[in-house]
Amino acid sequence: MIRYMITQNVLHRPLRTLITAIAVAVEVTMVIMVVGLTTGLLQDYAKRTEGIGADVMVQPPSSSLFMNFGGAPMPISIADKLRRLDYVQAVSPVLISLNSVAALENIFGIDPASFREVSGGFVFYAGRDLQDPNDILVDDIYAKGKNVKVGQTLHILAHDFRVVGIVEHGKSARLFVLLSTLQEMAGAHDKASIFLIKADRSNHSAAVAEEAKQLLPGYEVRQPKDLMALMTSSNVPYLGTFINVMISIAVVVGFLVTFLSMYTTVIERTREIGVLKSLGASKSYIVRIILSETTLLCLVGSAVGIALSFALRAIIHDLHPSLPIQITYGWTVRAGLIAIAGGLLGSCYPAWIASRKDPVEALAYE
Amino acid sequence: MANATRIFPSTEVLTLARGRALEPILKTEDLWKVYHSGKVEVPALRGVNMEVYPGEFVSIMGPSGCGKSTMLHVIGGLAQATRGRVLLDGNDLTTMTDAARTLLRRHKVGFVFQKFNLLPTLDAYHNIALAQHIHGNGFDPHRFEVVAKLLGISERLTHKPSELSGGEQQRVALARAIVSEPKIVLADEPTGNLDTKSSDAVLGLLRELNKDLGQTIVMITHNPDAAAYGNRVLHMRDGQVVDGPAVH
Repeated sequence: MIRYMITQNVLHRPLRTLITAIAVAVEVTMVIMVVGLTTGLLQDYAKRTEGIGADVMVQPPSSSLFMNFGGAPMPISIADKLRRLDYVQAVSPVLISLNSVAALENIFGIDPASFREVSGGFVFYAGRDLQDPNDILVDDIYAKGKNVKVGQTLHILAHDFRVVGIVEHGKSARLFVLLSTLQEMAGAHDKASIFLIKADRSNHSAAVAEEAKQLLPGYEVRQPKDLMALMTSSNVPYLGTFINVMISIAVVVGFLVTFLSMYTTVIERTREIGVLKSLGASKSYIVRIILSETTLLCLVGSAVGIALSFALRAIIHDLHPSLPIQITYGWTVRAGLIAIAGGLLGSCYPAWIASRKDPVEALAYE
Repeated sequence: MANATRIFPSTEVLTLARGRALEPILKTEDLWKVYHSGKVEVPALRGVNMEVYPGEFVSIMGPSGCGKSTMLHVIGGLAQATRGRVLLDGNDLTTMTDAARTLLRRHKVGFVFQKFNLLPTLDAYHNIALAQHIHGNGFDPHRFEVVAKLLGISERLTHKPSELSGGEQQRVALARAIVSEPKIVLADEPTGNLDTKSSDAVLGLLRELNKDLGQTIVMITHNPDAAAYGNRVLHMRDGQVVDGPAVH
């Protein structure tokens, strides 16, 4: 009976229902997109780094998980020392530069031969490998997003590059130039930001990492396969706080909208509450009606919000293919629960007001 | 008790009462209700004494502002008395908590209002079923059917209040009031918003409910013709019942 009653109440005031549900939907979408975007970027980054194919990465001391925040580059001569370690099959020095024009993108300066040894080489969709100082490779996602074709000129880091090939994505960066070119441009002669190491067998990765640590005390030695686990919001400074702040704002918005909506409802339905009281409805019965109605509105809003998130992700994916948004089952459920909790919190006071209404005054309400 | 007027039940009921040791279903003793408007005390009831016996149909008449509605609210447990006693089916409402009075209303009182007070979002069926749901003993389809048939609304159950005439709405409200078999029905100007034809129909139904089902009814009205449907009429003035029994 209560279910029927609240359904009818919700349908009886379509505009109010629509506005409340949309507000909850926006709240849910905001939570899902903020988390999806941050998680998506982190996981995409980890996946792409792992996709290089290296078993061990060596970075300068106190380097971030993010390669482009690696600090001062290291002497390239370290590569020779690393090559002499047991179980090491190949070492490839990479200089990383950050292109901040239009978007934040890593540019890898690579030595094609050693990079091929470590990574197994690129899969070419079009064009050829790097040969000349002004050559640049772009991955397919970059090419699709920016509509780049082989032969085109790209103006990056105040330098004109010629696109010589389009490669399959998944080798960490989306743009690759010759190591020597990037060293020249960055004024970092004989320097590298990172050394990618390939072990002779994958089960020797840990041993190689251990050797590298002993060889280069204080340097950051990581195994890319561990990055997926490390790439969480709690491992990135302030990201967890940022997410929590965004979620809090969403909850506050949901709380206020639900509060206003249910408060207005209670005022509008004063006489109906009086009727329920005259029939012998207890305070808890009336509270149950208000909270059930809120829950229904939040459920509808959450469903719309989840659908909206998927739709937005599809649109963003079309417009910006390189921007990954990871929508997980866990976070859709969590966003829904957050919305319901915020909504219920917002309707507590209106429900309390409704339950305490004087029946005689309520029945006389016009 | 100084200003109080004791009103006795009708001769037939008294005879019945003596013969079967019948107790009043409703009894008020020196009932006062005082409202506060700022620092000013406004007494709405000034020591009402009356008794209503099971099976009676009592009409209470009086001019506007004489305290009729207030009395209905107090004896129905919607409002708390300022002093005196209200005994409804042996329960003293004046000593009860709000929650206890709510429970008493649920099980023993059925209200009918001048403005029908049906829930606009529910159809007639659910407006009536709501009373059974709140009553808590589950849906009784047999009782529901009997009541709907008796009140002639079986064909109108799928309609919402906005789709019903005033007379039909009041019949639905009447059905809602009696579907849970209350001890007493309290009707506040039930024909106040109806035309003559619908009024006669509703009053006729109230009389039928009283005669056929033995439903105890207390009805407030300022219409002498409507009051005449009851088997006893009480008059109120200035918060008091001012006359003796009037048997029809």
